[in-house]
Amino acid sequence: MASAAVTAAPSREWLRDPVLLLPAAVAAGLAVGWLGVHEHVAGSRVAADLALAWSLTIASIVALERPRWRRTSWLLAAAAFALLVADLEWASPHALSTFGLALQGLWAALLIQLALTFPDGRPWSRTAVFAMVAAYAVTIGGQLAADQAQEIASIAVALLVLFLVLRRLHGLRGPARRAQAPLLVAFAVTVGTGVVWLGSLLAADAGSYSVQTLVRVVALTIPVGVVAGIGWSRLRRPRTAELVVDLQRDSSSMRERLARALDDPTLDVAYRLGDGRYVDASGRPLELPHGDGRAITTVTAGGEEIAALLHDPALLDEPALVDSVRATAALVLENERLAAEVRAQLAEVRASRGRIVAAGDAERRRIERNLHDGAQQRLVTLSVALGLEASGTDPETAQLLARAQDEVEQAIAELRDLARGIHPTLLRDEGLGAAVEALARRTPLPVTVRSTLRERLPDSVELAAYFVVAEALTNVVKHASASQASVLLERGQQDFRVVIDDDGVGGAHIEPDSGLAGMRDRLEALDATLRIESAAGGGTTVCAVLPCA
Amino acid sequence: MCDDSTVQKRVLIVDDHQPFRAVARELLERAGYVVSGEAAGASEALAAVAADAPDAVLLDVQLPDGDGFAVAMELAASDGPAVVLISSREAADYGRRVTACGARGFIPKSKLSAAAFGALVD
Repeated sequence: MASAAVTAAPSREWLRDPVLLLPAAVAAGLAVGWLGVHEHVAGSRVAADLALAWSLTIASIVALERPRWRRTSWLLAAAAFALLVADLEWASPHALSTFGLALQGLWAALLIQLALTFPDGRPWSRTAVFAMVAAYAVTIGGQLAADQAQEIASIAVALLVLFLVLRRLHGLRGPARRAQAPLLVAFAVTVGTGVVWLGSLLAADAGSYSVQTLVRVVALTIPVGVVAGIGWSRLRRPRTAELVVDLQRDSSSMRERLARALDDPTLDVAYRLGDGRYVDASGRPLELPHGDGRAITTVTAGGEEIAALLHDPALLDEPALVDSVRATAALVLENERLAAEVRAQLAEVRASRGRIVAAGDAERRRIERNLHDGAQQRLVTLSVALGLEASGTDPETAQLLARAQDEVEQAIAELRDLARGIHPTLLRDEGLGAAVEALARRTPLPVTVRSTLRERLPDSVELAAYFVVAEALTNVVKHASASQASVLLERGQQDFRVVIDDDGVGGAHIEPDSGLAGMRDRLEALDATLRIESAAGGGTTVCAVLPCA
Repeated sequence: MCDDSTVQKRVLIVDDHQPFRAVARELLERAGYVVSGEAAGASEALAAVAADAPDAVLLDVQLPDGDGFAVAMELAASDGPAVVLISSREAADYGRRVTACGARGFIPKSKLSAAAFGALVD
């Protein structure tokens, strides 16, 4: 698994493994137990301390399963030893007793640090850093202050911590909630009990010993929470066989299926194309995130990366789950990747088709300009010159010259029509409305033009619409036997509609290689559509809809 | 084709196609007009009008450094000479711009004759 946030422990770090603390914790616990009995401390208190210290140590070892929980693991172990050290207050030698008393609240401060940096060891926020510093200050430094002042400060810190933990709990989702909620709930309950204990100290200044014991008993839920979080995540983990069935059977999108399987609603799938780019399921290009907010897990098939799963970093705590989903997904994702690749290629083809049409239009403009500036210009000069010569010569020659001039005029007219058909000047200069009206005037039957256009449209849209009208009117004249026709240019919110109607014989359709087929290709390059309604005897309606925001 | 009123009319010919200017010059001179000068572009035309103060301008629409409509508008704004637009395209190819630019009229180049010109400027 290639992932952004996994920090595997280097091999020589085993020396610093908290597992080594287990015998030490057992020995220290036994020593404290003996001390308690020897000094006639209440049995319930001794038992509560030993139970808490040992279960914290066990939780610390269980937490090692999660690579990102390493610091949590150390803090659990540290809290266990701090708790045992605090019990030195029972000892008879004054120095030991003072030492124990001085470190009385250290275990609580360590657990506060654990909670506010859970699970990856980084503080949640600046307020969390402040709360941690305050916790160490009141538990250790506070020993120097008057009892009451320390108790009030402790209550304030505890309430702040409680607030932060509850807020964190509220914001947890998906796999993070599964793994972290048990510990945070246990912690919130413990802090709540701690507030009650501190309150009782303030109120009565006595009889607090049993409440102190109670806090330790409640604190037992913290190691239980750590283990429960890991256990709950494991229980939630679907079996690979079930995953295979679920991932292949479901009709929802692959992203949704994987999000459900991993219980991470934020999950995204990025498909890797042959050229190394990533796209989403619809073929749109996608950038993989760089930053610690998201984790990336790659999916490979046949040794080749086919996709990347972008997900909540908390999932990295469940490598076995991610691995099984990854293995299963590889079977299904390959198909999805191919589909995404096809969609991406389709988008590219569509874009290149648009570019080809645009290049063709530019070429048409150039040819029209060349015809006008070249051949047409020369023929016009020739025609005027012939007219001029005819006016100053004998009648016979004049007649010959006049015939020649007529021929030249005919050639000029044909050339002009040709140029206009290639790219109409009026369209470029005056826009679609004027160009279509000129087209209607040149059409040898009555054509009414209605237009709701108030502004110029993109060149490609204007040109495509113009050619649709020109082609449709040509067909009306050639085939429809119509007595009249109408053209509607209608600007909508998101599109532009061109409708050409006639009252002719109908029965028209788009034949391959026909002018209308060419129009349809041109329109499709703009993501536009061309529709023909032409029942026999019912006239013909040609309708083009061009997207135009 | 020519009468006394046109004999002394001075005309500036503006067109970027030299052979056409030559034919137009001959056509106008035969009809009794005086060709005050020729220009191949828009800025050259404006300079020639300022320098020679012709009575009329035979003005091609499509010029290498601008279009005839802009030149016509500028001349109309300064109460300049009568302008007759010419083009190898037809008036319909230019829509409303022909009537909106302040020119006296439009003649397709192939239909250019002294009579058509005279009908607009005299």
